[in-house]
Amino acid sequence: MTSYLHDPALWGLIAGTPVAATAIAMGRKTNAKLRAALAEQSARRASLEAGREQIVDEAMRRAEEGTKSVLKAAMRTLQGLAGEQQVAIAKLQRENGEHAALKGLLDVDHGNAQFTRRAQSIAVLCDGWLGRRKNAASVYDVVRSAKGRIRHFTRVEIRSQSNFAVVSRAVEPVALALSELLDNATSYSAPETSIEINIQPVPKGVCIVVDDAGVGMSDEEKTLAGDLLTGRVTPGVSGLGNPPQFGFAVIGVLATRYGFSVSVDSTSPYGGVRAVLLLPDELLTTTIEPEETPAVGDESEPVAAETEPEPPVQATTFGGLPKRRRFRHPISIVPTAEDRAEERAAPAPEPVRDSVEAASRMGAFQRGTLSGRRSVNGVGGNGTRGGNGISGINGVDSVNASSEGQDAQ
Amino acid sequence: MTDEPELELEATELVRPYVITNGRELPGDNTFTMITLVAVSDEAPRARVLDPEKLRVMELCAGGFLAVAEIAAHTGLPMGVVKILLSDLVEDGYLLARAPVPRAQLVERELLEEVLHGLRARFG
Repeated sequence: MTSYLHDPALWGLIAGTPVAATAIAMGRKTNAKLRAALAEQSARRASLEAGREQIVDEAMRRAEEGTKSVLKAAMRTLQGLAGEQQVAIAKLQRENGEHAALKGLLDVDHGNAQFTRRAQSIAVLCDGWLGRRKNAASVYDVVRSAKGRIRHFTRVEIRSQSNFAVVSRAVEPVALALSELLDNATSYSAPETSIEINIQPVPKGVCIVVDDAGVGMSDEEKTLAGDLLTGRVTPGVSGLGNPPQFGFAVIGVLATRYGFSVSVDSTSPYGGVRAVLLLPDELLTTTIEPEETPAVGDESEPVAAETEPEPPVQATTFGGLPKRRRFRHPISIVPTAEDRAEERAAPAPEPVRDSVEAASRMGAFQRGTLSGRRSVNGVGGNGTRGGNGISGINGVDSVNASSEGQDAQ
Repeated sequence: MTDEPELELEATELVRPYVITNGRELPGDNTFTMITLVAVSDEAPRARVLDPEKLRVMELCAGGFLAVAEIAAHTGLPMGVVKILLSDLVEDGYLLARAPVPRAQLVERELLEEVLHGLRARFG
């Protein structure tokens, strides 16, 4: 045992143990410290990273908002200018209606309408101003307005009309949304094919169905379009891609905002896309001015009644010459409402031509001829008009007859 | 849409004239002049549905012959556009068009005087 006492290694061990113990303890301490530091650092890093994301989001949001407000203001100016220009063009069109310049003016008008649509679409994506109409408009007119806002509008055929009208606040949004659908339809189909529009009343409102004969859409495209159209995805101005795809994004915003719906997930009978815009009852009203748009049959009926029975009676003149058929009304008189009411109220006596009436007609003819002969320079014929009081028909005939009398002079 | 007031678009018609004509070319100048007269045809077909503008023209003409210029004034449409509508309607058999009645040619005063003198010399 004592021999070990002299062994320097033992003393070395004895001396080294506490040192080692101390060293180990110190090492452990440092380790713990380092771990704590590491934990602290990683926590800090995490918070910084979160902050960074927040800042980036915030920066992007601000950039988007900045872009939006700049574009919104810019578009407002452009829309205003386009509106002024349209007023000027409309005035020029009326003033130069009979000149060859009209063709050019119509083209300029068309260009201006497309320009307005672009500005409006951008404005919609920037939560901006669209402009509203004061009056409700028939669905047919809204569809035609939409048609006029795209380049190849002559390819669009509107197959049906409807008695419904769109409420004033929805006129512009619906026309704009529909014009974007038509723009897509014309862009993705061959130039010689036509785009068909049908207006169909449905239990929930009115459907405007747009069928193209284009290439159609893949399932992936349909899903993406569905997301945009229902407003589930709102790409904003910066998410439109390059070249920017406005159409569905604009329609989605408008549909959400005004409460109509658009779907493009069905296939048209021609293999292209069938787009359906559903206007709910809330956006519809009955047609605004029903007296302005009666059916054709309404007015052709009295016309037919008054002219059809005439040929057998007036087939020839006294001299056996073929007689010109006349219209009952004087030249260049626009019928008033009362005239038309009278016509409708008493159409029955006309087809019956009894001897008294025939005699009065002959009398009128004779009087007209006589007065025509009396008058020197052809203005005296009117005098007979007041003198013949049997009916409007005869009065008119006497005027015509008197002019005939002058011809014979 | 936003808190800003929306401006009203009222100055111009919703449906632009080039849409009404569907981009058609103006008819040749000799077909319709400002004073060509049109009236509803006896054989006007009834089945088809017409555009509101064409219906309005038909309504105006239902009362008798009306000049092209008057139709333009009543409808507020540019003259050329009215001419396109009218040529469509005439083509489809809804309307009849006829050239304006020519003005009566006044006989020269000298001739009348000569006749008068002759008559007086013969009978007077």
